[in-house]
Amino acid sequence: MTYETIDTDVLVIGAGGAGARAAIEAANHNVMVTLLSKELLGKAHTCMAEGGVNATFANVDPPDNWEVHFKDTIEGGAWINNQKLVEILTREACDRIMDLEEYGAIFDRTPEGKIMQRPFGKQTYRRTCYAADRTGHEMMVTLTEEIRRRDVDVMEEVFVTNLLAKDNQVQGAVGISFKTGSLLVFKAKATILASGGGGRVYKITSNAAQDTGDGYAVAYHAGCRLLDMEMVQFHPTGMVFPESHRGCLVTEGVRGEGGLLKNIKGERFMQRYDAKRMELAGRDVVARANATEILEGRGTEHGGVYLDVTHLPPHIIEERLPTMLEQFLDVGVDIRKEPMEVAPTAHHLMGGVEINENAETTLKGMYAAGEIAGGVHGGNRLGGNALADTQVFGKRAGENAAMFAKKSSMPIIDRSQVEKEANKISTILERKEGIRPHEIKNRLQTLMWDKVGIFRTGQELQEAVQAIEEMKAKDLPRLFVMDKHTRYNKELIETFEIENMLTIAEMIAKAALMREESRGAHFRKDFPKTDNKNWFANIYIQKKMGQMTLTKLPVVVTTLKPEGA
Amino acid sequence: MPEDAVQVKVFRYNPDTDKEPHYETYKVPYTQGMVVLDVLNYISEHYDGSLAYRWACRAGQCGSCAMIINGKPRAACRTLVEKGKPLTITPLVQFPVVKDLVVDYERGTRRLVKIKPYVQRLKSPSRPEIISKEDIVDVKEIRGCIECWACVSACPVVGEAWQEFAGPLIHRQLARLKLDKRDTEERVKTAFIEGLYDCTTCKTCVEVCPKKIDIPGKAIEKMRAIAVKEGLGPLEGQKPFIEAIERTGRSVERQSTPLLEQVPDVIDVDDPIDEVAFFTGCLVDYRLQSTGFNALEVLKRNRIKVHIPKAQSSCASPAFRSGVVDLAHQQVKKNVDALEKLGITKVISLCAGCAMTMKNDFPAVTKKIYNREPNYKVYDFTEYLVREVGIDKLNIKDLGEIKMKVTYHDPCHLNRGQGIHDEPRQLIKLIPGITFIEMEEADRCCGSGGGVRTGRRPLSMALARRKAEFIIKSGADAVITECPFCLIQIRDILNQLGYQHIQVYNVPDLMAMAYNKTK
Ligand SMILES: Cc1cc2nc3c(=O)[nH]c(=O)nc-3n(C[C@H](O)[C@H](O)[C@H](O)COP(=O)(O)OP(=O)(O)OC[C@H]3O[C@@H](n4cnc5c(N)ncnc54)[C@H](O)[C@@H]3O)c2cc1C
Ligand code: SF4
Ligand code: SF4
Repeated sequence: MTYETIDTDVLVIGAGGAGARAAIEAANHNVMVTLLSKELLGKAHTCMAEGGVNATFANVDPPDNWEVHFKDTIEGGAWINNQKLVEILTREACDRIMDLEEYGAIFDRTPEGKIMQRPFGKQTYRRTCYAADRTGHEMMVTLTEEIRRRDVDVMEEVFVTNLLAKDNQVQGAVGISFKTGSLLVFKAKATILASGGGGRVYKITSNAAQDTGDGYAVAYHAGCRLLDMEMVQFHPTGMVFPESHRGCLVTEGVRGEGGLLKNIKGERFMQRYDAKRMELAGRDVVARANATEILEGRGTEHGGVYLDVTHLPPHIIEERLPTMLEQFLDVGVDIRKEPMEVAPTAHHLMGGVEINENAETTLKGMYAAGEIAGGVHGGNRLGGNALADTQVFGKRAGENAAMFAKKSSMPIIDRSQVEKEANKISTILERKEGIRPHEIKNRLQTLMWDKVGIFRTGQELQEAVQAIEEMKAKDLPRLFVMDKHTRYNKELIETFEIENMLTIAEMIAKAALMREESRGAHFRKDFPKTDNKNWFANIYIQKKMGQMTLTKLPVVVTTLKPEGA
Repeated sequence: MPEDAVQVKVFRYNPDTDKEPHYETYKVPYTQGMVVLDVLNYISEHYDGSLAYRWACRAGQCGSCAMIINGKPRAACRTLVEKGKPLTITPLVQFPVVKDLVVDYERGTRRLVKIKPYVQRLKSPSRPEIISKEDIVDVKEIRGCIECWACVSACPVVGEAWQEFAGPLIHRQLARLKLDKRDTEERVKTAFIEGLYDCTTCKTCVEVCPKKIDIPGKAIEKMRAIAVKEGLGPLEGQKPFIEAIERTGRSVERQSTPLLEQVPDVIDVDDPIDEVAFFTGCLVDYRLQSTGFNALEVLKRNRIKVHIPKAQSSCASPAFRSGVVDLAHQQVKKNVDALEKLGITKVISLCAGCAMTMKNDFPAVTKKIYNREPNYKVYDFTEYLVREVGIDKLNIKDLGEIKMKVTYHDPCHLNRGQGIHDEPRQLIKLIPGITFIEMEEADRCCGSGGGVRTGRRPLSMALARRKAEFIIKSGADAVITECPFCLIQIRDILNQLGYQHIQVYNVPDLMAMAYNKTK
């Protein structure tokens, strides 16, 4: 298989909030920047975020400042966040939002013309900046506009299959162009991984189709260290049908406006879980309540619980929940007249590639930012912090990668790694029969949902680890695609995705098995209590001698510590 | 396969290996709430993994999955599948096919990038920057675009002349930047060069936009208004019409005795069932007087008392559509005063342009001058008969037989402008002897609107020619419509093409013809 080699100074993998911001920053430093993404520019998962982005402008609540935000984030994160990173996040968020406005973003305003801020869960003050219910879209459109102004080489619909790494240094990446199916080799002085989350390892997820978590896998195989992979946030309310919409987010606003959760018997079951706060209890509490109802057989026909706003006057629903009204009308449900069916949905991976304050990973020449990076959000992410994270660390990654590139020479890549990818592609295309990627995907997603989901036990996690290992050994070598041509071969790309998904699944399951306590988003039925004495720590994962090794290490603390630690 | 399986015809083409595109038909089991994306996923998993299509967020927020579904560009993730109704799925037009339903948007993005689609500042702002709430209202209305290209694929003007007209998406972006006070580029000039006056305001783009962005109203007409202020607009060909309104209150010059000079102030009937005011509009008053008489005849036959205020004047649609705002506002005041003086609560017009302008544009102006909406309601003629009077209450027995094959052309400003689609067809079908033939793309723009007929004649005629092809293909003896502008445009093009024998009527013409058989 022939391939084209593309030289660049800074290679950015991923064009979501973090990658786009990183590319802009790198370009500011007068280096060549190449930006890759699986989808078309502007369509990354970031555009789906609705709620908002946190920054302590204190425009509506004057006492707010970065230190309060810092504390909220660490408490919200169940104390295992890297406090150095959180300090950076909370100190720099305002500046990054102002950057966005300088580029042309339009956030909603206060009467004085400052950025408006709304309250968000578990935060002391109103600090979430927003653009109606399309904040992520506003950010993504702005970044797209800015990328188009800059001299950035945007290469859309390129799927990165692997990083090129040697002697603890990353030298670029190998990718496949969707359009032509040809192999592309990127030689880069510095590489930024901004490939977003991996919610798609779960059967039910709010994440976009592209969020198969490739970044976690390629980083792992290149030798990067990752952490907190057991920490997966489940949002309590996602859609349950039709199939394609399963997991699509139903915003917290619905409950905020008075939506009631009911089981098939019509009972307001939150009474039994949190009689005081009812539907407005914390995300994890509501998610577990919904899951319990469904698991114990009180769910609906489609496997959900009811979220009901029919008691509200129709005009209130039309005025305050227009997006939800539309989202359900699209699939033939009029929420003014009938209840929604909802179930918990995998929403965010808190864990990821380890970075330091400069967004550097443990490998030389490699940086990471956004959802792919770990440590910022600890055991649970506050609403509005992820978008802030993309901007703060996206900028840092871009800046530091550019500076690194400036003082480095073009690496000499190991062509044998490219050959390996080429062989993999031809082997799969030539295979005449076997298992199609979606079959393994569906099986893995169900496994993760059932055994590595909201409720976890040692027994089930063990079973999951075993099942994953079996799939790797037995199914991967039999991967088969119907389409034998390379042009826009979605199934071929899926074969790479499924391999990545198995790697992340293994990381999540193994880390979840190791953490014998409950903390943040991680809930062990067999260890339901938080154990600060033994588990005020992070679990790090790294590939050593071909083996996945897990290590428990102390949390990076600057100021705050939980009780009993 | 269950009985309620959905029959799906899908466009398939791999330019690397296929000689030419072809269609495959699949059967997909129907499930509740299923959208077109589910259908594609099902086909991919169960029949053919090589089917290429794009999708990402499946929540209508990323714009990846636009494709043509049963003839209209749509987001696959937001298009509900109807049980038992077959589906045809093809890729967006205007872009080369990469494979199957995947197209290459390069042509479009190249064009987009040329206009510098970003805020250009001369100096850095203060940090934080104070931006007033009012300043962002206009921008926000057109900011939600998810770059799905559906509008560009659907726009009839793009289809005819993309080289001249940059298309809805790009004009939206130009307006987004012009309306943003932080931007310093010459956006209006660029828009003018990129065909600001080419848009027929047909609203096809609004119809297909998953975000329902009103590009003609909130972008193009606003930009035209600024263009007029900056001396770029209106176009030479549009000026006589604007000047005529200023001079005479009519957009066209007098040729024969106007309708208003031939009719009384009130046409009374015995035992009236309702009372309305009749708004003629320029063309019915000055050019198509017979259509006016016909409409009055139909109303009479249905025992409706009609007031015809003589102080009425042009609805100023040409001024609204071409951005001559001050004149438009003067005309609104004149008309609203004349109509309100009658104390009648229902006003009807058989001109799609007038009725749409009075429904959609007048209220905003009266809110400014009187701080309220007009105190009457406006109806299109067919809407009034079908919805207000009621189709079952109409005088059907006096409709004589007309042996004729007819088809119907949807005026854009009636169909998309006022949501009136079925009513004219219902009325036509009431007439004994009529054979109704639905032509292909009945709702395609004829090219007369938005000042394009007057300002950009060659483009307008090119659009009309496309329309005429479908009319001719339908095999009808006559084409019926409900708009004097469409009527004149279609009549012109049929004459030009040598198809004068195909008659063109407005709905009231046809109805009056039927009533007159039973005099
Ligand atoms: C429905 C929803 C609502 C949310 N709402 C909020 C909110 O209100 N506030 C908030 O703060 N957070 C919110 N979040 C979380 C937040 O949106 C994400 O964490 C954040 O957008 C991630 O940004 P990112 O740049 O890291 O990654 P993404 O935006 O996911 O971008 C990842 C990029 O990497 C590319 N990529 C991935 N793999 C490859 C590969 N193999 N080869 C090439 N490219 C690749 C992708 O194509 C994409 O361009 C929400 C999340 C969801 C799902
Ligand atoms: S209104 Fe019609 S002509 Fe104008 S941009 Fe939209 S689709 Fe094109
Ligand atoms: S304006 Fe609407 S239809 Fe056109 S590209 Fe934007 S979202 Fe799509």
